[in-house]
Amino acid sequence: MTVDAAPTDNVVELRGISKRFGGIHALKDVDLELRRGEIMGIVGDNGAGKSTLMKVLSGAYVADEGEIWINGKKARIRNPQDSTDLGIAMIYQDLALFNNFDVAKNIYVGRELTYGPFGLMLNKKRMYKQAEELITELRVDIKSPKQNVMTMSGGQRQMVACARAIAFKSNILIMDEPTAALGVTEANKLLGLIRSLADKGISILLITQRIPDILAIADRVFVLKGGVRQGVLEVGKITLDDVVTMIVKGKDRAAEAPPEVEYKSFG
Amino acid sequence: MTQQPENVDAKHGVNLGFLRKYAVVFVLLMLVLLFSLVSDSFMTLRNLTNIVTQNTYFIIVAIGMSFVLISGGIDLSVGYQMSLVGVLTGMMLVLWDFPVWAAILIGLALGTVLGLVNGLIVTRIRTFPLIVTLATSVIFQGISYLVSQAKTFRSYPDSFEAITKARLFGVSFDVYLTIFIVVVVAIVYYKTKWGIRVVALGGNEEALRLAGVNTRLIKTLVYTVCGFLTAVATMVMISKANSVQSSFGPGTEFTALTAAIVGGVSFLGGEGNIPALVAGVFVLAVLGNGMQLAGWGTYAQFVVRGAILLAAVAFDEYQKNLKLRVKR
Repeated sequence: MTVDAAPTDNVVELRGISKRFGGIHALKDVDLELRRGEIMGIVGDNGAGKSTLMKVLSGAYVADEGEIWINGKKARIRNPQDSTDLGIAMIYQDLALFNNFDVAKNIYVGRELTYGPFGLMLNKKRMYKQAEELITELRVDIKSPKQNVMTMSGGQRQMVACARAIAFKSNILIMDEPTAALGVTEANKLLGLIRSLADKGISILLITQRIPDILAIADRVFVLKGGVRQGVLEVGKITLDDVVTMIVKGKDRAAEAPPEVEYKSFG
Repeated sequence: MTQQPENVDAKHGVNLGFLRKYAVVFVLLMLVLLFSLVSDSFMTLRNLTNIVTQNTYFIIVAIGMSFVLISGGIDLSVGYQMSLVGVLTGMMLVLWDFPVWAAILIGLALGTVLGLVNGLIVTRIRTFPLIVTLATSVIFQGISYLVSQAKTFRSYPDSFEAITKARLFGVSFDVYLTIFIVVVVAIVYYKTKWGIRVVALGGNEEALRLAGVNTRLIKTLVYTVCGFLTAVATMVMISKANSVQSSFGPGTEFTALTAAIVGGVSFLGGEGNIPALVAGVFVLAVLGNGMQLAGWGTYAQFVVRGAILLAAVAFDEYQKNLKLRVKR
């Protein structure tokens, strides 16, 4: 089911975003609207352009064409710092953590709490105290902010990445395949955390290949195929088959019979 | 999930984090004990003072090199940076009669620019810093010989020699200078956001970029600081020797690299320890001095230094593999 009506409470609006890598047209004239406090699943086959689109929003890539509107204002995102300044945080698939650091340093590196002349001196005491408070608030399974991330499980590392993303009151969170490497229990915990963040008003874009995850916690699903927007589906009004059909066949043939390839993957 | 404490080799019951931090101090103490037994003249105040004063410049170079290593890079050109800065400073003092202060300032500025050049090339070409600095090393070597015509410049003004000969409470100025540099660098490394970002750069450069940090700027600054510290070390070195020629710098990069790695700086970046680094320099210094006094000769020192570097790199690798095993 495609929603055509333009939302009125959009925190993110991407208009006509295009991105090329040499001869490859990764994104073609893509529009996206994200509402305040909603979880939007971003789905599509491999190479559909999901990560590229999100990297344009996070500043890792710069769009060749198109406009980005954040909270109703036109924004220019040329690098990750621009994106961070706009309240956007992205958790990358490889988590982008520092294995040589503990939890607190992972959370704060790049946005360190400082004092003194030119804000040069690290306020380690405050960093560790606030990291501990954050861990407690998120109710994640991390014993101490002094724990080194290299020795952590995949789920714990994912939680550190989440804590890092929300530590600075980001109101737009992008997550790239957050449950891909997690077991059932850890994935469930993470999905619960994502839902609770959305309930607090954070808008979340969730890239995943695990469609059941999206059906479990998302409000809408955005489907990409070959770098082209196929449509946006309301989760409450669709089935797994609807999503798979649009991913495989695209918007033009979605009304046809379900795909011959039966969906068997539940992650 | 049950996890072992970090860095613990369960099989052997060894805390490797602790061992890595203090192994170099233990090795230093063992060497001091060994050479005290082997040579009567080793454990004398005069000899110990010599060990310290003869290695102040090594400490300064090793600190610069360590910052580069911790950031994930390497600078193989420090030896010929020293040659180039040294001969030009020597020529300013001996041939062109520059005031001492001007010669020092220009020398320091030149070293800083050489470091900046390395940093800019590494960040712009985006290739292995080992190759870049090897290439710039050869360029600096060529310029050094072209400028100096392979001549030696000696007999500097007294005020220049004062860098290593002036004394306060019986301790020479270069020792105070070195202590000052060690303290400042330790503060920058442990207490400032610049320090944490250098370590982060060595740990995961892409993650740091995605965190919104200008990694090119940090990397360029690291090489620039290394160039500046190399120039400071050059002033100390040529003041002590009261002589300079183009061949005096090469080899320093290997010693500085060895000292850094023996002192716990990871060859792969992202890890370092300033006090242990200083201890690493003294391990090599005590080794050289002790072997000389024991009559084991200069050539044997090369063998031992090479073996020590291999052992330190092997330990670094072992520790990293162990961390991964603990994770699994």
